[in-house]
Amino acid sequence: MLTIDGAEGEGGGQVLRTALGLSLVTGKPFLIERIRARRSKPGLQRQHLTAVLAAAEVGGARTEGAELGSQRLFFRPSRLRAGQYRFAIGTAGSTTLVLQTVLPALLMAEGPSTVVIEGGTHNPMAPPFEFVEQAFAPLLHRMGAGLQLTLRRHGFYPAGGGEIVAAIAPAAWQPLEPPERSERPQLRGRILLSDIPHHVAEREASVLRRELGLGADEVQVQPVRAAGPGNVVMLRLQLGTVTEVVTALGERGVAAEDVAGRVVAEARALLAADVPIGEHLADQLLIPLALAGSGSFTTVAPSQHTRTNAQVIEQFLPVRFALQEHSGRPGVWCITVMAAR
Amino acid sequence: MCQHGDLLVRRLILLTEPRFSKLFEAVASDIATISPETTVERRDLHIRDAWDFEQVFDALFELTRNLGLDPEAEDVLVHMTTGSHVAQICLFLLTETRHFPARLLQTGPPRQGSDEPGTWQIIDLDLSRFDKIAQRFAQQHQQGQSLLKSGIATRSRAFNELITQVETVAPASTAPILLTGPTGAGKSQLARRIHELKQQRHQLAGPFVEVNCATLRGDHAQSALFGHKRGAFTGALQDRAGLLRTANGGMLFLDEIGELGGDEQAMLLRALEEKRFLPLGSDREVDSDFQLVAGTNKDLGEAVAAGRFREDLLARINLWTFRLPGLQARSEDIEPNVDHELERWSAQVGRRVHFNVPARQRYLAFATSAAAAWRGNFRDLNASITRLCTLAPGGRITEALVDAEIARLTADWQREPTTTGGATEDDEVLRAVIGDDRVAALDRFDRVQLAEVLRTCRRHRSLSAAGRELFAVSRNNRASTNDADRLRKYLLRFGVDPAIALGP
Repeated sequence: MLTIDGAEGEGGGQVLRTALGLSLVTGKPFLIERIRARRSKPGLQRQHLTAVLAAAEVGGARTEGAELGSQRLFFRPSRLRAGQYRFAIGTAGSTTLVLQTVLPALLMAEGPSTVVIEGGTHNPMAPPFEFVEQAFAPLLHRMGAGLQLTLRRHGFYPAGGGEIVAAIAPAAWQPLEPPERSERPQLRGRILLSDIPHHVAEREASVLRRELGLGADEVQVQPVRAAGPGNVVMLRLQLGTVTEVVTALGERGVAAEDVAGRVVAEARALLAADVPIGEHLADQLLIPLALAGSGSFTTVAPSQHTRTNAQVIEQFLPVRFALQEHSGRPGVWCITVMAAR
Repeated sequence: MCQHGDLLVRRLILLTEPRFSKLFEAVASDIATISPETTVERRDLHIRDAWDFEQVFDALFELTRNLGLDPEAEDVLVHMTTGSHVAQICLFLLTETRHFPARLLQTGPPRQGSDEPGTWQIIDLDLSRFDKIAQRFAQQHQQGQSLLKSGIATRSRAFNELITQVETVAPASTAPILLTGPTGAGKSQLARRIHELKQQRHQLAGPFVEVNCATLRGDHAQSALFGHKRGAFTGALQDRAGLLRTANGGMLFLDEIGELGGDEQAMLLRALEEKRFLPLGSDREVDSDFQLVAGTNKDLGEAVAAGRFREDLLARINLWTFRLPGLQARSEDIEPNVDHELERWSAQVGRRVHFNVPARQRYLAFATSAAAAWRGNFRDLNASITRLCTLAPGGRITEALVDAEIARLTADWQREPTTTGGATEDDEVLRAVIGDDRVAALDRFDRVQLAEVLRTCRRHRSLSAAGRELFAVSRNNRASTNDADRLRKYLLRFGVDPAIALGP
């Protein structure tokens, strides 16, 4: 049986989510130990527990150690079932991370599924909804998989209360055509605001316009209704055949200019890197790429997160990842997946 | 409470008041959003004034009776951070007394300007779970036990276990305590120490009052215990408070309680139950709240059967019964007690006395042997050491002095009838065959041997069979054996007819 060290590498919830997702896909049971062992609150937190229970529901799995604070979990799926699911996450936990957990399995299931997830839609340390919708889903389409996303309610940390719906169609996998970068990227800004004074959004918008040379109508301010206050600065970058989304969350005690400044800095780095795929999108693409069996793309230097993710995937699927820096272009990396010999 | 990633509340019972419905709805809906795993149950309390201790306590106490919490099935926490201070105190008290079978949950607000949910911690009132606190308790128990043993490092396991029990019970209970055991086993001493311990722990402020019931007779008994009004009887020239009243707020030690007269028993029972009684010649009752410790060397159960002691009074004082073993049953404790008596004599007289080494060995060897009956127990030991100390030339107890003391003790114990400590098994066998008088004339040496021989004879029908068992080892080494003859001669030496000794 597969035994996974949950404290290895990045050592957080990602190891757990990848393992859960691929166990459902392959039907392989696994034991994960030292879950988040080196974190300040080690073991399963409530949002992780929700992910475990969601995966268990989708795959009819038997679990041991699915308890709060547990650092050891045994997971044995029985039968993967497509259908209607609804998961509610406490503590304003990220809806996109729970989606990420069950998505690979439902893409491999026998019929279409609809998953409703309640919780946070724009969380720190998690992909924001628009990133999944506009950057990740179109690439999935190109690989032969269907994912339609709808945001019903916004949910911001710490109040939560958001809701997303994912319509998932089984995939007929095809290898990913290496995405290409266009000469003239198109940028669009969008700022979400809930229960926060309007001038905050205006100040953020003016930073984006000034620093990135955007026109007045190229940055939108969108007030939304949510259970609690929230502020998100987003920049959509049309990089050619790929769309990237860069975001920053407004924080108490951080000036509006600085929040927008973070987006500007990340966008500039991505534009300067001269690759179509950023760090976070690269991370998300590993599993679909492995499920498709082959493919490659160029990106920035892979993060610890990405490397750990690749290692866990290799434990479940008969694939191998090659992460190589381009010989002639420093800072440009090529990630390739191939069948393991 | 419901926002923490590492705390999951499955069922939240929210205490509220009917007039706070709107607030309740808002809180319940927030919880539904942030913690979909939680079900919220509403409990309306009817408290007019949340700062009125009686009202709040009453309402919460009522709640403990109808919440139907099952600590086996659920891990129950009582959140005591919200509510008036009075409510918090009541929640604490009810949890501490296990009316809520729960641990306490305490939450703290987040740092200013932070979106984090703040802090939480669980406080388990089972303080023994905390190492440091447990250590302090252990230390306190140790001190309490040492006090009960008058600082004597006793080694007898049975006695030390008894002291451990007393140390647990005495501070935790105000119910009567019954101390049994032979005379001189230290009942009065222990009662005094229990009083001291309870005083030290601030549980008793009043005095220690002691009386031997055997010394109370007639009118005098009632007046001594319950007091009298002036003129209640001839010679009652002034009011007298009585021992029960004097012991108010303190401890009353009634030694030899089995000797108490019937009227006094009835009055004592009422005084224990009602905490009030009627002094002699008075028409007004007086109050007195005291802790009773009773001592007896009699079997009170037997006294009840014989109609000499009230059954209801025995039931009342028999809740905590501690049997103090006699000194002979505590031979390991003789040495530390000898040292203690030496110290005490030295302190009283202001002159140091000690044994020389061989004298000490000889004394202890005798004192811990079976030959030392210690009929009067600690009273005997105290008297013996007092004699030795008083007679010690130049503060040294010599071998000659010890020999003389041993002879004296032996003679004392022989003179006394053997019935004092109750008949032993040996004595029963002997008496049945040779009669009381001749048993008393026997050396212990012979008594033990003869008793065993007689017991063996009873199991056999012939002297030969009994002899074979008795001489089983030595008969193998002899050419010719006549066990029957050997046994007959032995029995005749004590005037025992072999025909009577044998079994049917």
